[in-house]
This record gives sequence, C-alpha cells and structure tokens, in this order.
Amino acid sequence: MSIRHHPDESLLLAYASGTADEATGLIIATHMAFCPQCRQTVTLMEKIGGRLLETLPAAPLSRQALDATLARLDEPVAVAVPPRAPSKDGTPQPLRAYLGGDLSGVRWRRMGPSLAYKPLFRRGGISAKLLRGAPGTEVGAHTHRGMEYTLVLAGGFCDVTGRYGPGDLQVADSHVRHSPIADPGEDCINLAVTTAPLKFENLIQKIAGPLFGF
Amino acid sequence: MLAHVQSCEFPRFRPVLRRAAPVRLAMTRPPEALALDALLRRVAQTRDRAAFAALFDHFAPRIKSYLMRLGAPAAQAEDLAQEAMLSLWRKAHLFDPAKASAATWLFTIARNLRIDAIRREKRPELDPQDFQPEAGPDADDAITLASDEVRLREALKDLPPDQAMVIQQSFFADKPHSQIADELGIPLGTVKSRLRLAMVRLKSALGNTP
Repeated sequence: MSIRHHPDESLLLAYASGTADEATGLIIATHMAFCPQCRQTVTLMEKIGGRLLETLPAAPLSRQALDATLARLDEPVAVAVPPRAPSKDGTPQPLRAYLGGDLSGVRWRRMGPSLAYKPLFRRGGISAKLLRGAPGTEVGAHTHRGMEYTLVLAGGFCDVTGRYGPGDLQVADSHVRHSPIADPGEDCINLAVTTAPLKFENLIQKIAGPLFGF
Repeated sequence: MLAHVQSCEFPRFRPVLRRAAPVRLAMTRPPEALALDALLRRVAQTRDRAAFAALFDHFAPRIKSYLMRLGAPAAQAEDLAQEAMLSLWRKAHLFDPAKASAATWLFTIARNLRIDAIRREKRPELDPQDFQPEAGPDADDAITLASDEVRLREALKDLPPDQAMVIQQSFFADKPHSQIADELGIPLGTVKSRLRLAMVRLKSALGNTP
C-alpha cells in the first residue's frame, strides 16, 4: 500500500514554484493527494519561496499604487463558491476538477477489447488522459519522444523498471523502452501525461496510436 | 562556448545573492516576520486599513520584483502586485499563521496569479478534504513555525553556492531544469542532485526526517 515511486525534487519544485505546465501539475498534485511525504516536501518548498520573496530587492511601485489599491478594497467581490461535495469513491480533488466528478462516473472510450481511455486535455504537445486496462492487459512495447508520466489511481502494473501500485508515479524518458502489463485481479486505472507522442513498435499500434492521441 | 554561457548566465543570478544582504542592512528596522503575520491577522480580524497599507509597503515591491524576474514587463508586474495585495485583503480570513508565514502565503498568491494571468493556465490544487491533516510536530503551533522560519533562513544562507543557485533559478528563471542545466553547461543529473542535496540539508535543518 505504501508508495514506492515518488516524483523527484525537480518535479516537486516545478509544482511548488509554479513553473510546471498544467498537465504535469495535475499529475503531481494527484500524486500528492496520495502521498503525505511529498505534501510535506512541497510545503517546505513553498516556505523557501516565501523566504526568497522576502530577500528580493524591492522594485518600487508608482506613487499612486497604494492609493489606487486602497480605493478598490470595498469593491464588491464575486460570491465564494460553495464547498464541493466530497468524492463518493475517493477520487482526489485535483483530478475531479478535470473530470467534473468521480472516477466511477467516467465515460470511457474503448480502444480494443481490454483497453479504454478518457482524454482530459491537451496543451501544445502535452496531453493528459486516463487509461484503463483490464487485468493482465499488455500495452505494446514503446519508447518515448518526450516524457511520459504515469500515475496509478487503482490496480497496478509492472514493467522492466518495477512494480507500480496506487499513488506510484512512473517517469519514463527517451531512454526507457517498456511494455507495461496490468496486474491480475482488478482493472488498472492510470493518469498519464505525455509531452510528445509515444513510439510504438508494433505496426498496428504505430498506425492506431496517433488516432487515439498517443 | 562554455565560457560564453558562464559569462552570460552566472552574473545574471549573482546579483540576487550579492544584493540581498545590503538591502536588509539598509532598512532602518525591517519588520520582523512575526510582526508581518500580526499585521495580516489585524487585516483579517478588524479590516484594519493601516495594517493593510503597511503590508502593501513591504510586500508589493517584492511581488513586483518577483514577477519581473520571471519575465513580466514592469507595468504588468505592478498591476499583478496590486492584484495580489487585493487578494490578500479579500482572503485574509483564510490566513492561518500556524501553517505559513505571511511571506509564504503571499508567495503562493503571487505564484498562482502569475499562472492564471500570465500563463493563462489553471493550477491543479489539492483539497484538504482528500486527506487527514498532517499531525506533524510543526503542523499546529505558530511558535514552532516561527522558529522553523528562522532555522530555514539560516539554512538557506548556509547552502553551498551551487545548490543555492539552482534553488534560486527554480523559483526565478521560469525554465525547465533541463534548460537551466544546458545554460550552466552541466548535465541535468547534476542539477537534480544539487536540488536533492539542498532539500536534504534544508529538511534536516528543520528536523524533518527525509
């Protein structure tokens, strides 16, 4: 149950400092919902950010800036959003915000007999999607043009780099060639972020991959 | 090529380190972190405009400086610094001095404003409802937090310069670590190991077990 595969300091710092792109931010925040250790690290990184902000040389504002801001203090503000209903199936909030609800309510798109997916969003070449594989499903061998981040939400999988269970984050770059296999027992559901299309080795997947946005 | 990279890139970040100390010395009586937290609590509790103005004088120029370092033009950085301070006024009731200092809280406000207004993206956020609040030794005690801030400040000052620089650039360069590595002429793995070593030092300074 305990998490074995964490994002490294570089990824956590990209999230804490606000330089991570949205898709990478989503997968790190969702990992953190599973992982007290990484939450604690990011909290510390935010304190570092606060301290660095304090030590910056001041860039003076124009003379009327304070008055202009004081004059706006009484502007009416949009009513705060009511608190969200808690998840019924434990789907972490960062992800629910993109699903518009729980994982159990996702309308999956089939992709062959044992794989399904749900695109979440795409910005430039970076895309975020959910993947669901039936127990024992093998995703064809592939390498990577960019980075592939895979976060297990339910079930698990293994490949040459190790075993991954709920909360574990796999980071694969252009040096990794793998063909992940879903664990037996229950469906494996992953959040996947890729910064460039994957390179499949099997001819059919080579043709079909781009059609499904892989 | 390497010499060129060094002559362009190192000096850009050195002034931050060099200027930090004189600025602190030049100020007559820098408002201490706790005093800033108290001002923020007064804003929350009594909507004290004088306290707000004092916080504005302290933080708005630093937020503007932060945003300009990340590439915002001066006028936009100034507008966003004012937005950040407005946000402080509106959300002051959410400030919890046991969880963060005023500086840390404002850093997160400014960071999120930048993502929203400049990058036009959303920031995926955690919801405390998703997990039990951590019962760490420093989770619910404002005094522990204040001494943590002091220890963090000292530990940051004591970081080896190569580690301090990659931490600084992580916050102020708006570049992926791979690009920072290229510009420094060192492998990405070296940047990552400097970050890891820096975090290990800072965590142990605060008594966090890695």
